[in-house]
Amino acid sequence: MNYLLLIPATLLLLLVFGFPLIRYFWLSLHASSVLTGLEPIYNNGANWIRLISDGRFWQDLYQTSRFAVFSVGIEMILALVIALLLNNEWKSKQIYRSITLLPWALPTTIMALSWRWIFNTPYGPIDQILNLIGFNNLNILSNPSLAWVGTVIADVWKTTPFIALILLAGLQTIPVDLYEAFRLEGGSPKQSFLYITLPLLKPYLLLGLIFRLAQAFGVFDLIQVMTGGGPASSTESLAIYSYLNAMRFLDFGYSSTIMLASFMILIFVCLSAYIVTITITNNFRRYKL
Amino acid sequence: MKLNKTLIIFILIWSLLPLGWQLYTSFSTPEALTQPFIFSPNRWTFENYLQILNSNPPFWKYLLNSLIVGLLSTAITLIIAVPASYSLSKSNNRFSKLSKLFLAGSAMFPYVILFLSLLEVARKFNLGNNLLAICIPYSALSMPLAILLLTAAFKDIPKDLEEASVLEGLTLFQRLRWILLPLIKPSIASTAILVFLFSWNEYPIALTWISKSELLTLPVAMARLAGSSVYEVPYGAYAAATVIGSIPLLMIVLIFQRQIVSGLTQGAVKG
Amino acid sequence: MSKYRLYLLISTISIAIFGARMVNGRDIKLTTINILMPAPFADSTSKSIERFNNTHKGNIKIKVTKGPRETESVSDLAISNLLLGNSTYDIILMDVTWLPKYASAGWLMPLDSWFVRKDLKELAPGARLGNRFKNKLYRWPLVADMGLLYWRKDLMSSPPKTPYELIKLTEKLISQGKVKYGYVWQGRQYEGLSCVFLELIEGFGGKWLSKTNEVGLNNKEAKEVASWLRDLIERGITPASVTNFSEPEALQAFKSGEAALMRNWPYAYAELQKEDSNVKNKIGITTMISKKGGETTSTLGSWGFVVLKTSKHPDKAIKVIKFLTSETSQRDLFISYGYTPTKASLYKDKNLLETSPILPELARALEATKPRPETPFYAQLSDILQRELSSILTGQNNVEDAMNNAHSKTVKILRSSGAYR
Repeated sequence: MNYLLLIPATLLLLLVFGFPLIRYFWLSLHASSVLTGLEPIYNNGANWIRLISDGRFWQDLYQTSRFAVFSVGIEMILALVIALLLNNEWKSKQIYRSITLLPWALPTTIMALSWRWIFNTPYGPIDQILNLIGFNNLNILSNPSLAWVGTVIADVWKTTPFIALILLAGLQTIPVDLYEAFRLEGGSPKQSFLYITLPLLKPYLLLGLIFRLAQAFGVFDLIQVMTGGGPASSTESLAIYSYLNAMRFLDFGYSSTIMLASFMILIFVCLSAYIVTITITNNFRRYKL
Repeated sequence: MKLNKTLIIFILIWSLLPLGWQLYTSFSTPEALTQPFIFSPNRWTFENYLQILNSNPPFWKYLLNSLIVGLLSTAITLIIAVPASYSLSKSNNRFSKLSKLFLAGSAMFPYVILFLSLLEVARKFNLGNNLLAICIPYSALSMPLAILLLTAAFKDIPKDLEEASVLEGLTLFQRLRWILLPLIKPSIASTAILVFLFSWNEYPIALTWISKSELLTLPVAMARLAGSSVYEVPYGAYAAATVIGSIPLLMIVLIFQRQIVSGLTQGAVKG
Repeated sequence: MSKYRLYLLISTISIAIFGARMVNGRDIKLTTINILMPAPFADSTSKSIERFNNTHKGNIKIKVTKGPRETESVSDLAISNLLLGNSTYDIILMDVTWLPKYASAGWLMPLDSWFVRKDLKELAPGARLGNRFKNKLYRWPLVADMGLLYWRKDLMSSPPKTPYELIKLTEKLISQGKVKYGYVWQGRQYEGLSCVFLELIEGFGGKWLSKTNEVGLNNKEAKEVASWLRDLIERGITPASVTNFSEPEALQAFKSGEAALMRNWPYAYAELQKEDSNVKNKIGITTMISKKGGETTSTLGSWGFVVLKTSKHPDKAIKVIKFLTSETSQRDLFISYGYTPTKASLYKDKNLLETSPILPELARALEATKPRPETPFYAQLSDILQRELSSILTGQNNVEDAMNNAHSKTVKILRSSGAYR
């Protein structure tokens, strides 16, 4: 009887999460494009052969990873700082929380549009200020070697509060007595951070890291609205590329191949991030009562 | 301590600055836009707001569409997630651990990967351009998080409480309705808010499932607005749109701040 | 009392409904034809459309959906509609490179029964291209556009005709200190680079893609084109910054008088004749250089109307198209916006010739136009070519390897998408 209650949820989850992956695998072995009337025709793995030599795919993989590593890295560090600050007793915590939540709660497209305006050359405030200090016409979003920095800044702005909240929740589970006892034994604040805070915060750090890595790897909204993947596809992510293949080039077979490949790479990245973090942090010394 | 305070104030400014800039831009005349730091008496205008509110279809239509989609998706999600979570909270350890793992994986999954196959579903079953239909994928996508949060909440209820009500002869439905649900009300509230926020903000699925301009949800309408002007710098109007589009969320965040935070942190602590 | 009120209520409601139906009934006669256009076209055609709506009151009403500014996003918008199978548009204003994709997806209505031989004959020769796919007419052109070679009348008596002449002439001008650069073009990694390449590969006697999907990018001619372009940079005839040039940058360099030759589209002429131009009244227009075995070629870029298969009013849609592409409308567009006409008669129009001295040159260039490869995969093929050419121009790769790469990648795309079945 109990298990019957699970059926609707299971079906829905299978339909939306399970079926697509199987469908992608199957489609990736077929030509399914305008030429075939979007009907699948088996093509001997030609999609995968094409993928391996597709410079744009590898470039996008590199760009996606660059975006993910930089934005998640900066976000984790900033979020840790913010969480530590907030963990101190502090009067207007509620207001602070609301304000930092706002960037996270706003639709990505709205904030991407705002950031596009902020980076606008020559009318945006950033360009105006850069001009004052002598960097003329940096054209951040239309410069192929700088545009990605703009997207990282926007992402950091939007997502840091979210991770900070998660880390804060973790900090609040650490008993205050532990710090007290450590201090009485002569530990410095720096040591207490290393031997108490970090080890006990580990699960939260890991959760934040993996969750954000996965999300950043699938970045779509932000880039589509802010730069559209340009200039000269220098900010294009894998999600954008597969979207273009489906919606602009009408090549569903190849689009599926890209998505399946991204999915497999993502699993690999998250697993290795997990394992690396675990092995590094296992060597942490940890203070016990 | 002083350093901390300065830092916190800095963070607050950093969080608000881009929004503040939009607000500032939204009241600027086109001439003022080109010289943002020069203040003249006639740099202020309401024109941008009038332009957005008189657009076709009117801007509030997008807000309404997002509201419909948000409310309906939340309702569907809860109706399906509550029984599933109840059942999961009762099941044995191994099964619940495994399903937890899968749910956590799905909750973290960058769902944009699914868009093509969902588009195929929309094509096959003629679900495109239908605000009610799009709630199905939305509910499914928010299901993992909802189940995780609610299962944790159900598990927190003391066992004797339910056993007592079984002895009193209450049916499963009665137990849920009168004993259990009232107890997990806070969790339901935070789940509902999170699902609502997700559906309100969702972009890639809405982008592929809805093409008629009068049915667009807010995020897609904003993105489309961004690309549909003749002029290089119609940012006054964009800014007005972002401000209007942000107000409902600003309200939600201010009113439900506690539920959002507890939902997010519960998800982190227990998930 | 309630009975009377009920009757009153019922009769009021029924009158209201009946009345509404009457109004609706009148509405049914009014057909709305919905056109999707990129924003700039929506603005430039607004006057003609207003005129049409005024003369067809109560019968046909044109409703224009202003698409995004960036042209590819217009296509994205149309496709997202079409994929869901319920397009709201009757007509789309379409770039020449989109046609094969839409036609093979089966979204377009063949127009052969509405546009007869007489109509086709009225088109200028180059404007007839790019409207058909697999022997069916799908598109009716509104504006013609073609790649042109701009030259400085004050620096040379006639423009160079061959690649060799171009190098010799410009090197001489540079060494004499008359100009800083010899020739500016579009070298950024984007669609303009593909247009530059198409003109040259045809001019050198090669082929990018044949009608039977044979790829010619590893042939001698294709490699010669790539080497020649690279050579221009190495000799200093073209600035190295050309790899960041799109149309406006090239125009800027030429307008300031720094360059002797420029490749650009017809719109540039009006810009060069403005007061702030250093080359005002010193410019001539011709078509691209070519070699023996090849022929001088202008890349065809044009916009035209298509009717979607889902349109419920094809007859009226055609009426709209015929009006918007009529001589009167095209004359207005040419005078107010400089849009190159597609009707042959306008090239001999005395009034137009008076206002624009370049019309005969444009007519000649139009005769030399060739479309870019007419395949549904054009966008992907162009992307591959741009990447590889860009790697040659920036010196990241040598001509041999890069062109072989471009070739094999193009073949792989065609194979994976089912082109060789």
